[in-house]
Order: sequence, then structure tokens, then C-alpha cells
Amino acid sequence: MKISSKCARLLVGIFLLTALVLPSAVTAEEIKIGVLFPLTGGAASAGRELRSGAELALDIANNAMPDINMTMAKNAGIKSMGGAKITLIFKDHEGNPTLGADLAKKLILDDKVHGLMGAYHSAVTKAVSVVAEQYGVPLINDSSTSPELTKQGYKWFWRTTPHDVYFTKDLFEFLKGLTEGKVKGVPAVPKKEIMNLASACEKTEWGAAVSELIEKFGKEYGFEVKKSILYAAKATDLSSEVRSLIAVKPDAMLFASYTSDAILMMKTLKDQKAAPKLLWGQNAGFEVPEFVTTLGDTTVGSLTRTVFIPKIAQVKPVAAKVNAMYKAKTGNDLSGASARSFTGLQAWVHVLEKAGSLKPADIQKAANAIEIPGDELVVPWQGIKFATTGDDIGQNTLGMGLIGQYQKGADGKIDLEIVYPFNVATANMIYPFPKF
Amino acid sequence: MDILFGAVASGILLGMVLALVALGLTIIFGLMDIVNFAHGEFLMVGMYTGLLTAQATGMDPLFTLPLAGAIGFLLGVACYGGFVKYLLRGPMIAQLLGTFGLMLLLRNLALLFFGSEDRALHHGLLVGKSFDVGMGIILSATKLAVAALSVLAFCGVWLLMNRTKTGKALTATALNRQGARYMGIPTERMNALAWGIGGSTVTVAGALLVNFWSVNPYVGLIFTMIAFTVVALGGFGSVPGAFFAGLVVGFIMEIPGFWDFFAITFDIGWMADVPMTSFKYTWIYVAYFVIMLISPRGLFGWKQ
Repeated sequence: MKISSKCARLLVGIFLLTALVLPSAVTAEEIKIGVLFPLTGGAASAGRELRSGAELALDIANNAMPDINMTMAKNAGIKSMGGAKITLIFKDHEGNPTLGADLAKKLILDDKVHGLMGAYHSAVTKAVSVVAEQYGVPLINDSSTSPELTKQGYKWFWRTTPHDVYFTKDLFEFLKGLTEGKVKGVPAVPKKEIMNLASACEKTEWGAAVSELIEKFGKEYGFEVKKSILYAAKATDLSSEVRSLIAVKPDAMLFASYTSDAILMMKTLKDQKAAPKLLWGQNAGFEVPEFVTTLGDTTVGSLTRTVFIPKIAQVKPVAAKVNAMYKAKTGNDLSGASARSFTGLQAWVHVLEKAGSLKPADIQKAANAIEIPGDELVVPWQGIKFATTGDDIGQNTLGMGLIGQYQKGADGKIDLEIVYPFNVATANMIYPFPKF
Repeated sequence: MDILFGAVASGILLGMVLALVALGLTIIFGLMDIVNFAHGEFLMVGMYTGLLTAQATGMDPLFTLPLAGAIGFLLGVACYGGFVKYLLRGPMIAQLLGTFGLMLLLRNLALLFFGSEDRALHHGLLVGKSFDVGMGIILSATKLAVAALSVLAFCGVWLLMNRTKTGKALTATALNRQGARYMGIPTERMNALAWGIGGSTVTVAGALLVNFWSVNPYVGLIFTMIAFTVVALGGFGSVPGAFFAGLVVGFIMEIPGFWDFFAITFDIGWMADVPMTSFKYTWIYVAYFVIMLISPRGLFGWKQ
């Protein structure tokens, strides 16, 4: 009698213990990801885009939406962790690297996040990546394009977006194509007519790197870079910079600018009656919605590299679907910024699903092993697969860029049309750039 | 040659703009001998006033200038009556630290209310318009308007100081406060008036500047520095001196343009490779340093 009651008590005890322990091991663990974006400051509008893109991806990941053809839409939460839901903790770094690093520390130590994402400005991402490396917390970068970031050999850093070596090479391939008559709607332009280039780039990590790449590829492709200017993105006045550009009479003007300075640059160019034959921006400020809403017709004819143009929807059904959801949520089409933060979080979901646990080592292993096919992505890449060897560790090897041109449609709306790669061009290119 | 003419024209225009920015400080610091580190923040207040009233009412920012002037006047008088008056009782260091604190207060209030985002006006009668007068000279309508106002304001202040009783009383107060009070001059009121006029000229300048420069809460610092350079260069106590000093500083900021002219005209390779535009503000500080070294009284100053 005594023994059996002891037995019974033991059994009840074990049952209670398993009842308490097991569910928490299998279900409903909360996955916390700290997200660092510039929600105020000069790039705030890009920050809002980035945030909305990540939030939409979160929504799709945490709820089952079987009508979207994505792995992360099939389940509610992370299936391999018993449907655990993801929570994003957003922090605003204002474009300030020191603040970014502090916030990353805070996210790791106080909020105990399992991973990080961000931070748009390459200079901030660099500072955050040092913190992530130090604490051994995985950081997936969605939208910083300084090539330097994946050259550091870090073990906790992965980048989904292609970087500026890809994009700048695209630009020169495009210029080369222009001289060879490959651009849709433009007969071959003699090289001497487009020979002289001038660039103005903002002077932090990102712009300075772009400026160097333009010089490097310019030499390689046989163009002459007559002037390279570095300026402060927070500048209130760019007139002496613009006059310095105009002074060398460039055929093409190339820019790497964040939001407010891109707008100021265009206004000053117009003010000073600049007349380049070609005007190209390295995305960022040149493709946030504000660029068109504030400048209007001034933007027509300018080019920007990007990774997403709404016209992609015509050839990618999954992009059309997600773009429609994004438009319903924010009123804007997806842009290069929002499409990339969406894709960044999508990569996070795949990594977590594969890892099946929240141990940093498991996440690290999973990130190095994932392979997302291109047809699941909204961006026109071949997929996502991170390099684990070589001199570009953590870089997605399957990404690619687009070059778009702002054109006015029949309805009077200004939209980006694809002009590069040449085989997916959606419209005839406007050449030369119309006078301001 | 086009580059040279363009740089000269732009230097003159910019110089007049900077002179207007510095006029308020010329009155408060140059004439009345009270240091005001918050000068750039007054400008920022003016810029936000111009921007927000234009956006809220849909009116062109040109028509809201009187409002900006009134706000600047009240701000100046309030700062003096509520704060600076007490600083004057202490040593010089009290003015330095006190107005420095005022600068931080205004800047952080702006951060609190407006956020750190850059904001700019994109529509208006003058915005985005410019005239090509040939020979490489391109004048933007907005800067022309500021330059015109600058000339008017300087004439006005010069007349006030030299042709009116109030001006004499202001000068007397600046020269010897105690002596002036013995002569029956209400020195407190004179100081408050100087702050009022100084405040209103700088906020009007700000409301006009916002037509072509974007504003954020940190915008004041660079203008404070420029204004101090202009006042130091022009000489303490000289209104015309400040105007000419403004022009000189305008040319100093145009150094990259002149540099380009030499580099391109004479085809000098190494000159073309020097990133002069990155150093455009550096020369102002260099100039300030040199002036302090060789002529602490400035070019036109009469005060010891």
C-alpha cells in the first residue's frame, strides 16, 4: 500500500514535471530579433520604408498565408521550433555609428535578442557588426552595400544584398552597352560622347567606397573620371560642390547620396543649370518615394541602381502579390529599401527554421548552410546563399542589381522603368538626360 | 573664364547672405559687447518659423517674414529680460557659459518638437528659380532676395545707429553702461532693444534661408561660427565693416571655385585632384585664426 502510493506520487510528480517542462521546450518560445534602422534623421524616410518592409515579412512569417508562394508563408511561426513566433524590436540609430553600436549592445544585453538585423548606413552596420562579433550574436545585414563589410572575415555577419562592387560594375556594363547600342531604344552612342565622368559621393563608409569603385572601374572600362567629390550628407548647401562638378563639363554625373542630400543635390543641379547627358544615382536617396514626390518632373530621365522596381511584378508573381500587400499597408509600392528589408527578414526566417533552436552556434551553422531559391524572393535575384570561403565571407553570392530610369507614364505618374539588364528592359531609355 | 566669373558672382551673393546672418550678432556682440553663442540657434528658430508657417498656411514663405521678425524680436527681448540681464552682473565667463547653455536649450527644444529630420521647402515663388546672365554667372532667385534684404537691413541698422537718438543711446550704453545710466539713458531697455533687433534680423534671415537651405536642429552651429568670424573680421562696433567682412567670408567659402578655375584654365593635374570642396568650411576657421593673430580688432573696428 505504502509503496504503491509512493509510486503513484512519483508518477504524478513526473507527469507534472513533463507537463511543465515539455511544452515550453517544444512550443511558444519567443524569438527576439533586434532591428536597427535610421527612423529619424536625414534618412528617416528610407528608415520608414525599411521598417514597413520588415514588418510585412514578419506578418507573413508569423501567420499562415498559403496563397503566397513562399516557404515562410506556409506555417504560422517557426515550425521547427513548434510554431514559435518572431518579435522584432526596432531601434532608431539616426544614422549615427556610435549610437548604433550602443543600441546593439543594449539589444544584446538588456533585451536578450537572439539575433540582429540592419542597419542601412554602411558606417553604422560596420560599428554594429563589431559588437555582434564581440558578443557572438548573429547579424543579418539586409541593405548596406559597402564592399568592406564582408571583407572583415567575421563569423557572425551575413549580407543578403549585393554590394557596391556588383552595382558599380553594373553601371559600367551599362555605359559600355550604351556605346554598343545594346540599350533599348537608344542607337549606339560614340564613346567619346560619354567619356567624361564626374562623381559626388557622401563621405562616410558607403559613399567613400562608391567613389573609389567609380574611379577603379572607370579606369578598367576606359572612361575618364574628371572629378570625384566627397561631401557631407548633412550639408545644408551644395552649390560649390555642384559648380565644381559642372566646371569639368562631365558627360555623365554619378552620385551616391542619402535622402535629404539627394534632394538638395538635384535642386542645386537644377538651380545651377547643369546639363549632363546622363545622371545616375547609387540608389539610397535616389529611390526613396520622397525623391519623386518632392522633386516631381525634375527626376524624369535620371537613373538609379536598385534591387527592386515595381515593374518586376509583371514577370514575378510572388513580387506582385507581396507588392500589393505592401501597397495596401503603406500606400507606396515596394522600393529597393523595403524590398531588401523584407528579404532580409525572410532570410532570418529560413535560418531559424533550419537551425531549429536558438543556440547561437546552431543559428550560425544554419546561416552558412541555407539556400533560398530565387522564385521565393520578391527581388530579382537567383536566390540567397552565403559565401563561407574566399574573401567575401557571409556575402550572398546569388544577388544582382537593376538600373532603372524615372519616366513619366501616359497617366502622368512618374515610375521607374528597367533599362538594365538589357534583356529585361521595360521601356525605351530616355537619352540624353533632358535639360533641367 | 566662365568658372572665375561664376565663382565671383556666387561669392558676392553668398557673402551678402552671410553678412545678413551675422548682422544680429554684429549688434549684440559687436556693438553691445554681449557674447551670444545662441546666435545660430536664433537663426534656426527663424528657419523653422518660415518653414512651418509656410507649410501650415500654404502661403509663400516670403509673406511670413514679418511674423518671423516679430517672433525673433520677442525671443531676443525675452532672452535678454529673462536671462542675459542676470548674466551681465557676473564676470565675462558667465556670458560665455550662459549663452552656451541657451544654445543647448534651444537646440534640444527644437529636437523635442521637430525631431532630428532635415526639413526643407520645395515650393514657393522663388524656390528653384535662377537666372543665367551669361559668362557662367547663374544667380538663384532665392539668394538674390536674401542679398537684397541684406543690403536693406544693413542700411537700416546703419541709419538707426548713426542718425537717431536711439542709436546714440545704444552706442553710449555699449561704450560705458554706468556713464550712460548717469546721463539718464535707460540702459536696460537699450540692451533689450539691441537683443530684440538682433533677434529679429537673424530670424528674418532664417525664414528666407529656408527657401534654399534645409533645416534641422543642429543647423545653428556652423552659422554661429560664420557669424563670429564675420564680426571679428569686420571689427567690433562697425556695421559697414560687418557687411564687407561678410563679402570676404563669402569669397573665402568660394575658394574651391577659384581653385577649380586655376586647375582647369592652366590644366594643372595635381590641383584638380585636391578635394577642395571637402575643406570649404576649413578656410573660415583658418581666416578667424589669422585675423585674431594679426589684427584682433578686425578690419574696421574702433573699439578696444
